[in-house]
Amino acid sequence: MRSLLTLLAALTLWAVPATAQTQGGPLRLELTEGVIEPLPFAVPDLVAESTQASDFATRIARVIAQDLSGTGLFREIPAEAHIGRITSFDSPVEFADWRAINAQALVTGSVSVDGAGRLVVKFRIHDVFAGQELGRGQQLVGDADGWRRIAHKVADQVYSRITGEGGYFDSRVVFVSESGPKDQRAKRLAIMDYDGANLRYLTDAATIVLAPRFSPTGDRVLYTSYETGFPRIYLLDVANVGRRVLPTIDGTMSFAPRFSPDGRTVVYSLTQNGNTDLYTMDIASGASTRLTTAPSIETAPSYSPDGSRIVFESDRSGTPQLYIMDARGGEAQRISFGQGRYGTPVWSPRGDLIAFTKQAKGRFHIGVMRLDGSEERLLTASFLDEGPTWAPNGRVIMFTRETQGAQGEARLYSVDITGRNLKQVPTTGGASDPAWSPLQD
Amino acid sequence: MNTGQIISGAGHLAVIGWALFGGAFRADPPPAVVVEAVAVSQAEYAALMARHSAPEAVANVDTPEPPSPGEEAPALSPSPDRAPDASRPETSATPPPDPAPAVPARPAPTEVTDAAPAQSAPPEETAALVPEVSPRPQPRPAPRIAPEPVAPPAPDTRVDDVARPETTPEEGAAEAQEPQDATAPEEAATEIVPEAERPRDPAPTTSLRPRTRPAQPAPAPAPAPDLAPDSAPVETATRPAPPQEAPTPPATDREAVTDALAAALGQGTPAPSRPAGPPLTAGEKDALRVAVQRCWNVGSLSSEALATTVVVGVKMLETGKPDVASIRMLSHSGGSATAARQAYEAARRAIIRCGNDGFDLPPEKYAQWRDIEMTFNPEKMRIK
Repeated sequence: MRSLLTLLAALTLWAVPATAQTQGGPLRLELTEGVIEPLPFAVPDLVAESTQASDFATRIARVIAQDLSGTGLFREIPAEAHIGRITSFDSPVEFADWRAINAQALVTGSVSVDGAGRLVVKFRIHDVFAGQELGRGQQLVGDADGWRRIAHKVADQVYSRITGEGGYFDSRVVFVSESGPKDQRAKRLAIMDYDGANLRYLTDAATIVLAPRFSPTGDRVLYTSYETGFPRIYLLDVANVGRRVLPTIDGTMSFAPRFSPDGRTVVYSLTQNGNTDLYTMDIASGASTRLTTAPSIETAPSYSPDGSRIVFESDRSGTPQLYIMDARGGEAQRISFGQGRYGTPVWSPRGDLIAFTKQAKGRFHIGVMRLDGSEERLLTASFLDEGPTWAPNGRVIMFTRETQGAQGEARLYSVDITGRNLKQVPTTGGASDPAWSPLQD
Repeated sequence: MNTGQIISGAGHLAVIGWALFGGAFRADPPPAVVVEAVAVSQAEYAALMARHSAPEAVANVDTPEPPSPGEEAPALSPSPDRAPDASRPETSATPPPDPAPAVPARPAPTEVTDAAPAQSAPPEETAALVPEVSPRPQPRPAPRIAPEPVAPPAPDTRVDDVARPETTPEEGAAEAQEPQDATAPEEAATEIVPEAERPRDPAPTTSLRPRTRPAQPAPAPAPAPDLAPDSAPVETATRPAPPQEAPTPPATDREAVTDALAAALGQGTPAPSRPAGPPLTAGEKDALRVAVQRCWNVGSLSSEALATTVVVGVKMLETGKPDVASIRMLSHSGGSATAARQAYEAARRAIIRCGNDGFDLPPEKYAQWRDIEMTFNPEKMRIK
């Protein structure tokens, strides 16, 4: 009997490892459904280390908080609810005080003015519930006039550290500022911070301007102007507002320009003898190369981030649709197959999505799709939405929304690529045709 | 041929013969119908028939005699007709005076008061109509006011970052206290609805099907008698008793089995261990899962982090709280190391936040949940 039981036990051992994993091992759970809500954070005023810096201590903290809250991914816990006080940048943080108000992230910092009159901002990011610092503290130095940019850079670091993707707060937007009645609307180029601050006009309202586009470094702008009566492409230097017209063939119309990722080539549309095709132009030499030869209208080209391909709009199939082709031309592949008309495609800075304008069933949409046209998602719907442009991190899209009627006006809006956080961008008066710059140095 | 067969054959023949010739197959005659008859004479028959015959046409009809001439017409006379006598009334010189009318006696004046007379509404004339169809009986109206007073509904909780209970000043307090409304953080959403997909009419047009009931958990195996000799575990709120030394099993065949198991597992003498208790039920596991998921906020994660699955290990204290220092990422898949770090930090926050007050776990099964491995798979929440 004893030997029989021993044999039985030995045979049972084949099943023991699996059983031990479930009964003797750790308890295993799989979680698949969390919640989607803004992450609560707190940004107390920075510690002013000098009297001169005291004014900036609050203002910088406010801009940081506004940047983070404006993403829709974070929710600021107001200062009135704070229990803990940050009196020294180097003193340890009483996490229990911040845990009590459910702050999951905490940004602390200090500001001082050095001997040259420059602001010195130091900051740290804390994971409150883990009771530890996220990354290491950093320090930024800049002119006092540029305190907003310093605040934007701090917010970029916080955003990047918590979300895992780059920020977009220290960036600018060039757009067409509009004023006057709808039938006699004056348009001029303007540039501002991404949040509407530091507005500056680049051209006057003497002529119609369209479709400004930033260079990859953000120091130049391409745009289309009707200064000569025909649409022509101009290149403008943002710093000194100097501009020059790009060479073209007489009697033609050139428009819809966009820089290549290296900033040395411009791809644009050119209409000649009633036919519109895509061309590229070497900015230095002015030499143009024809990319398409179809009898249809090809326009709104946009380079992929690596510069190897171009997405554009064409009505060669009968209705405007989106196509992708090699940057040197050749066979194009259609990627949009949904109902309606597709236009103004823009390649994401990440390279994974195409943003576009879609008109279907009497409404306009801003949407995104994969490079093969799959997973199309419409993010907005209104009387007129058009002209998307990507934030530098590829997470947010800005576009033009025009309201209906004789008193209708164009405004800038932004939306997260998830479809959340649709909001208007503050501008002075009407605004259209935005182009988002890359992050500033 | 024996006698029985003969008798049987004769009997059969007799029956067959009777059937054929005895009228067994002959049908019975139909029953006769008796009708009463009455004898009548020829004269009576003729009279009966004459009564039913048509009347004969009359050939000769007597014509009436013409009327005889009447009296002669009266002769016309030329004299005019005499006017008829008209009676005239008699006239007099002075008409007799009219007789004085009799004046009735004035009634005595009655006292007038300022009080308005009571006005009585005339009775309405109602027609007694008898309805053709009787109306349906009206249900007796239910009382719209509860017979017993109830407390007013609690006001909506104000949205705030910090959840605070409502406080009221305490009576007789030495210091002045300010009342405070209850606050609670805003509820979170579990899905993203872009503007383009948002329905114009918020009213739902269809109702969701109820989720299927989770599979019935397998019955927990009964504890081995040698590990829990006393009785089945009882769920209590008290901490489990300190581990007791396992009772020494008698030197029986069970010992041989234990030895064999230990030898096969590469162990020496099996170390005495505290009672592990039965494994967690499916409901207990679900409760823990839901408790952690409630704090697993992926709203601030990047797209890549949302595509990263992390396995997080944590040691639990007997109080049900996680040992924060023990939280670690065991493995990750689907994303870069940076994305895995973001995903892990979100998972760690979830464990710490919702475990801050201790998870609701059965203390007597502590050995079952002392070590937990949680796989955070955001596949369903991924940004496509």
